[in-house]
Amino acid sequence: MKADPRLAVNLAGIAMRNPLIAASGCYGYGFDYAAWVDPAEWGAIVVKGTTLRPRPGNPPPRIVETPSGMLNAIGLQNPGVEYFLETISPRLNALGCPAIVNIAGETIAEYRAVAGLLDGAPGVSGVEVNISCPNVQCGGISFGCDPAVVEELVRQVRGAYRGPLLVKLSPEAGSLTEVARAAERAGADALSLINTIRGMVIDVEARRPVLENLTGGLSGPAIRPVAVRAVWEVAGAVSIPVVGLGGITSAADALQFILAGATAVAVGTANFVEPYAVREIKAGLLGYLAKNGLKHYRELIGAAKT
Amino acid sequence: MENKAQIAHRCLLLENKAVTGDWFLLTLQAPLPLQARPGQFVQLRLGPGTDPLLRRPFSIHHEDSIAGRLRLLVRVAGAGTARVAAFVAGQEIDLLGPFGQGFPYPEEKAKALLVGGGIGMAPLYFLAAQRRREGLPFDFLIGGRSAASLPADAYFREHRLEPSLATEDGSRGFRGTVTALLEHRLLTGPQPGRIHACGPLPMLARVAEIGRARGIPTHVSLESRLACAVGACLGCAFPFHRDGAVEYRRVCRDGPVFNGEEVCFES
Repeated sequence: MKADPRLAVNLAGIAMRNPLIAASGCYGYGFDYAAWVDPAEWGAIVVKGTTLRPRPGNPPPRIVETPSGMLNAIGLQNPGVEYFLETISPRLNALGCPAIVNIAGETIAEYRAVAGLLDGAPGVSGVEVNISCPNVQCGGISFGCDPAVVEELVRQVRGAYRGPLLVKLSPEAGSLTEVARAAERAGADALSLINTIRGMVIDVEARRPVLENLTGGLSGPAIRPVAVRAVWEVAGAVSIPVVGLGGITSAADALQFILAGATAVAVGTANFVEPYAVREIKAGLLGYLAKNGLKHYRELIGAAKT
Repeated sequence: MENKAQIAHRCLLLENKAVTGDWFLLTLQAPLPLQARPGQFVQLRLGPGTDPLLRRPFSIHHEDSIAGRLRLLVRVAGAGTARVAAFVAGQEIDLLGPFGQGFPYPEEKAKALLVGGGIGMAPLYFLAAQRRREGLPFDFLIGGRSAASLPADAYFREHRLEPSLATEDGSRGFRGTVTALLEHRLLTGPQPGRIHACGPLPMLARVAEIGRARGIPTHVSLESRLACAVGACLGCAFPFHRDGAVEYRRVCRDGPVFNGEEVCFES
């Protein structure tokens, strides 16, 4: 694959051909779309949320469409870190781009244990700590809203995992910038934001919520303005790089995040609609650079004027 | 990789005509044949823009893989399918696929019973056409609420299919549900090698139960809300029995056709 040097970036120690990342939970372990798009087209792929023990996930229905978005309540279905290390991680080098493992847990000790098991694992270029999943009873978002808890959790994970460490934040944290600073203090190398936002759809004929989990995480273009605002606030408050995500479908969308201060951007829901989105976004970014006489996209990071 | 030949197809809509009150038959010309198998599905983009956002899955009703001509039989069930019903001939349709595992193939030579509930007949029609072409014996049972809720006889004649119809009000064919017709058929006729079914969930549960009671393998095509269609998002998961526990499988990638005995209908 011919990579354009104008898009190359090193994100928190992860060398990427471009700043486009496949978002966790939307791209499986990176191979599901391979018949459509070479995984090496991505700058990196964040693989499905992984927990200490296997999780069966939530009963259906797990998804429902909403205006310009969708709710999901998958419930962190995954085969557990042991299976991941035995069966999946040895294959990840075949992706041709760095694989980052999203991790979750019900207790701080579980997060620490998963991170420790991933330390030095083949095929794993980094870890993204999910403290913002809205669809599990314990852990997830309940950890992500309290700066003191975030600091302790990230410190524990940091102590167990030596590689590049990303922390994925929820926009629902009361003080997002305080949570972001707490993660930075505790040793995070980068921050991803945003995760989905909790929502609900009610079937008026059945007079009950559509999702069996009742609530789900809202993703897609509907949340993009919230995400751009969150990136803007956090990028201005920390000195570590920020990965922006939330409803990116096009190069113009990606540029909003970059201009708001994101060093890289992740694409999730858009892949469901257009598996070729990554290719189109890259082409669009290069077109924008050419049109504006820019040598590298990094000139645009945080360049939005006020 | 695993899913070969998956490409985006910019198809030309040749025709979109009403088959019954709320069923529409779309005939599409694909730039390349999909080489789809009965039971597989495609994902249609409903329009430009982000609302509606997700594609909609439709089982393949028929493919002429030499001409690259594809047929989709669509029942209007909501805002998404209403858009599809409003597509006009000459329009370009953005289609991805084929996706999923179809009905088991190659088929054994024994007679198969194809059991369709309402619009669930759509993928079975493709299977029936294939079996007819290959000279494999089958009976095709289709059930609906009333005479008018099912396609006219001329529709089936086109593929020289002669399904046995069942209507709940008895206005056409057997009076009763299609599963009642299935039981009647099993009591009076020879045992089939297997049963293929597609339709509403309670109907599929009943078909699986009937098959289990008589030791006839059943293959049921499930429906689910889908997002990615490639097995990545796990949004379409459905419960299955495995070693006494419940396991979620992906309707889009592991199915949509499953062994009826393994499906956990009771949840």
